[in-house]
Amino acid sequence: MRRATLFGFDFLLLGASLLLTVIGVLFIYSSGITSTGVQYSTEYIKQIVWAGTGLILMAVVILINYTRLRGLSVYLYGFSILLLIITALFGREVHGARSWLGFREVGIQPSEFAKIITILFLGSYLSGIGRGIRELPRFLLGFGIVLLPMGLILLQPDMGTALVYIPIFLVMTFMAGARLMHIFFIAAAGFLIVVFSTLPAFAKWILVGRINFLGLVTDLDFLKYYILALLLMTLLSAWGTFGFKRRYFYWIHYFSLLLLVSTVGALLAARVLKDYQIMRLIIFLDPRLDPQGAGWNIIQSMTAVGSGGFWGKGFLQGTQSHYRFLPQQSTDFIFSILAEEWGYVGGVLIFFLFLVIMIRGMRIAYTARDDYALYIGSGIVGMIFFHVVVNIGMAMGIMPITGIPLFFLSYGGSSLWTALIGIGLLLNIYMRRYRH
Amino acid sequence: MTSQGLSGIRKLSSLKARTIGLAVLISGVFLILISHLFYLQVIRGMEFKLYATEVARRVIPIPAQRGEIFDRNYDLPLVVNKDSFAVDLIPGEVPKEEIHEIFKKLSKVLRLSVEEIEKRVPPKYYHLYQPIEVKGGIHYETIAYLAEHLEEYKGVSWHNKPIRSYLGTGSLAHVIGYVGDITREEIQVLYNLGYGFGSVLGKSGIEKQYDQLLRGEDGKRYRIVDVREKLLKQKQVKDIPPKPGNILVLTIDRRIQLLCEKALGQRIGSAVVLKPSTGEILALVSYPYFDLNLFFTDKASEKFRELSLDPSFPFINRAIQSVYPPASTFKIVMSTALVEEEVFPITREVFCKGKIEYGDRTFYCWQRKTGHGYMDLYSGLAQSCDVYFYTLGDELGVERISSYAREFGLGRVTGIDLPGEASGFVPTPEWKENIHHMKWLGGDTLNLSIGQGFLTVSPIQMANLVAMAVNNGRVYRPHLLKEVRDSATGELITAVTPELMHTSFIRRDTFKTLQEAMRGVITEGTAKVVITTKAVEIAGKTGTSEVGLEDRWHSWFVAYAPYHTNNPEERVVVAVMIEAENEWEWWAPKAANVIFQGLFAHQSYEEAVETMKPWWYIQQLRNQSETPVQGSESGRLNR
Repeated sequence: MRRATLFGFDFLLLGASLLLTVIGVLFIYSSGITSTGVQYSTEYIKQIVWAGTGLILMAVVILINYTRLRGLSVYLYGFSILLLIITALFGREVHGARSWLGFREVGIQPSEFAKIITILFLGSYLSGIGRGIRELPRFLLGFGIVLLPMGLILLQPDMGTALVYIPIFLVMTFMAGARLMHIFFIAAAGFLIVVFSTLPAFAKWILVGRINFLGLVTDLDFLKYYILALLLMTLLSAWGTFGFKRRYFYWIHYFSLLLLVSTVGALLAARVLKDYQIMRLIIFLDPRLDPQGAGWNIIQSMTAVGSGGFWGKGFLQGTQSHYRFLPQQSTDFIFSILAEEWGYVGGVLIFFLFLVIMIRGMRIAYTARDDYALYIGSGIVGMIFFHVVVNIGMAMGIMPITGIPLFFLSYGGSSLWTALIGIGLLLNIYMRRYRH
Repeated sequence: MTSQGLSGIRKLSSLKARTIGLAVLISGVFLILISHLFYLQVIRGMEFKLYATEVARRVIPIPAQRGEIFDRNYDLPLVVNKDSFAVDLIPGEVPKEEIHEIFKKLSKVLRLSVEEIEKRVPPKYYHLYQPIEVKGGIHYETIAYLAEHLEEYKGVSWHNKPIRSYLGTGSLAHVIGYVGDITREEIQVLYNLGYGFGSVLGKSGIEKQYDQLLRGEDGKRYRIVDVREKLLKQKQVKDIPPKPGNILVLTIDRRIQLLCEKALGQRIGSAVVLKPSTGEILALVSYPYFDLNLFFTDKASEKFRELSLDPSFPFINRAIQSVYPPASTFKIVMSTALVEEEVFPITREVFCKGKIEYGDRTFYCWQRKTGHGYMDLYSGLAQSCDVYFYTLGDELGVERISSYAREFGLGRVTGIDLPGEASGFVPTPEWKENIHHMKWLGGDTLNLSIGQGFLTVSPIQMANLVAMAVNNGRVYRPHLLKEVRDSATGELITAVTPELMHTSFIRRDTFKTLQEAMRGVITEGTAKVVITTKAVEIAGKTGTSEVGLEDRWHSWFVAYAPYHTNNPEERVVVAVMIEAENEWEWWAPKAANVIFQGLFAHQSYEEAVETMKPWWYIQQLRNQSETPVQGSESGRLNR
């Protein structure tokens, strides 16, 4: 069976994706209807159109041999960076972030598509250097590939979408065999940047002076000396590590550098992010602090999810959603309306379908014909995984409000297209898994 | 294809391990999320379900019908509820750009300025689907007009909001009082008693005093609303119907009230009629009074302001809220003190030459030219001889006078069931020194002896004072509430029983002597020419007080009847007080004369006047129609 066949289709993956898309349309319909049965939103029709066009796009993606994308990816990457720059400068502002590009009704979010393109380009880079990924400079160069679009998206500012690039990079380099030490560094730095940049607000609103030494990392006057000390420690331990080749210095160097990068990164992030955005990141820790403002979404979402119970209230029977207590039902909180109406059973179904996509995606990557396919397959899986965890976590009140859509389910063309293109790529790899 | 694409990790055995690692990570995170979902939906499910119902449920109060008020005859109501409407606006149903158009239209129809409407419906409410009351007290015709033109009035609706209607209450305005919408300050105080925004609250009189009995209990209507407070049609929890307020039956007798009202006429002052044996108040008139129904007209606030600024203070219930020097009526207290304390024998004759020298001052009797000659207690009280009481007062001393004044209930409220009663004032030497930094002088005692100076009393206190004299020292709380009845069945819930407030230490014999002396006032004293009624035997005391202004006298008459009776139940006390501005208004005994005639002959004011046809009546008619005649025989000098 060493033949490429267009019929060697992964129907399980395609089926799970289509089922999720259909469920998405159903609940976008439900979110647009009032309790009296008045349909006031036509979003579900638009979503059907997005799904239809998305499927066509998917078919096109399937038809192009992915190996040809390897050469193209550098141009695609360049183009998408250009689009992101234009967006950051001239984009339309929605919900405080300049993330839309387009005219009047029609618009796209370049940051969504940039994810796929970055995966393609990073995959091409990783497969080009092979084992070289274990060397720090090449690892860092690879990180630079994701850092560029990430930084541009952070300028919009859209922290949620920017953050997605980190797990994409981590999963791809992990599968490429990068040193765990390096991967951990990036993961830890990403996590610490988020923590440190929200720390002043956290101390002010949630702890309210319970821990005094937080001033060490929040007080700007003190920070100067703190950073200076870290810098000194990093340099000295670097000298120790490379001059004396002692393992002992290596770890000091590793962690002081990690702290230095995180602190400086947090300082920069705090410059870019506005107060209300930081508030949205931490309010999930105690939504009752601002029940009418930032906490409202979380309280209403948790109420919707929780009141759904085991069996749910029935399709179109939700109260939190249809009485309009639940905000942004069709986009950010689509999972909440589903969990309210279909209950725990529905929620588990969604997890199951996503798990099918993840596992099939990983299997496709594992059995792929070449490294390039392995890397882009892993990247897509990582991307979908991060979206699912962060979005559903937010709906359940255990993750910050980041405004990351739930792939397949959330209303929105850019996000649905990205998901379907991703699935198209996976199917593409699967069909061409046999080497000739 | 060559194996060029397989240069990297493919060759490492760790690929499998890393793939499995990633799969474990993904599955593990999913497991945590699924577990948390289970925790939220199944373990804490009920909690969130309850919260979800709670946030969407609204309790809308159904206002209870306020209780009606009757007089003691319990035949025709004095206060009923009249159908009326309130116009609401649901701003959420009005398109934003049209809302000011609607305001303008409503302003015309409801005769309410646009600013007023904007105040009630501020822009922050524009998105709400909650009905906001724009104006109450709307007539049926206006509602009919709105109903016919409903398509022009988007978001406009109305609800039934009955208003109080006062049926010929006239001079009962002060007694009954009025109601109004609860204010922010009142809510803060009354919230725990079940009042809320939109509650109607008694603001004065019986309406205020017995608000708890009258208001009933609001019902509850449960509704499901969405986040913008829009009502949703849903299977509902059953409404709790309102409990209407109780019917109040007052001790007031409409007939006697009207009699007193007319006897007083257009003179600023008050009249109190009460039954000494129970404390029931049969009539309580204060002039000027006001029309209670004014508060439910379009010009309510304007009228209210006008009445508030009226120099004759029509909102004051002069019978209980105004205090005056009691003048010669205080001699009742002085006489009692004399008899009880046995300062000197009541037969002792004091010579009145028209004045008395005291220190470096001269105190005159009202009969200053001729004097009264020799006076004992009976003639002294009958003639209201000031010199007699100066002498008595000097011997009694201020301490004893004050303590007897207090024994008669002066200087403190009577406890009548109306809000805002004034307590009056009984002076003492300590008080004068503390407040005025002046020593109490013997002259002050003399002034006090004839009820002048610092002493002040209210008409209800004087009525109560006479009631104590009549009852041989037993005083009942004066009250207006007779019965509380169920508004649906009319069944009696509570009958108010007389409440004995005080039993005096003063001996029965003392009161007997006092009563005889008070009878003498009518038979051969100052009131002889005025009290002409043959219907009943009266005992009482006149009084004229100087207010300090040359042309101001206060005219008092306090009395009771019948003098002889085997049935103390039929006795009534009448106290009349008039803020007279000229001599012919020295009217208090004359008004009392008509009241007693009407009371005991069961006649109306007109019939009573017709029966007596006294000479002064004809003169009075002349006075009213023409110019006032100065210096009638019963003029100012008559105490």
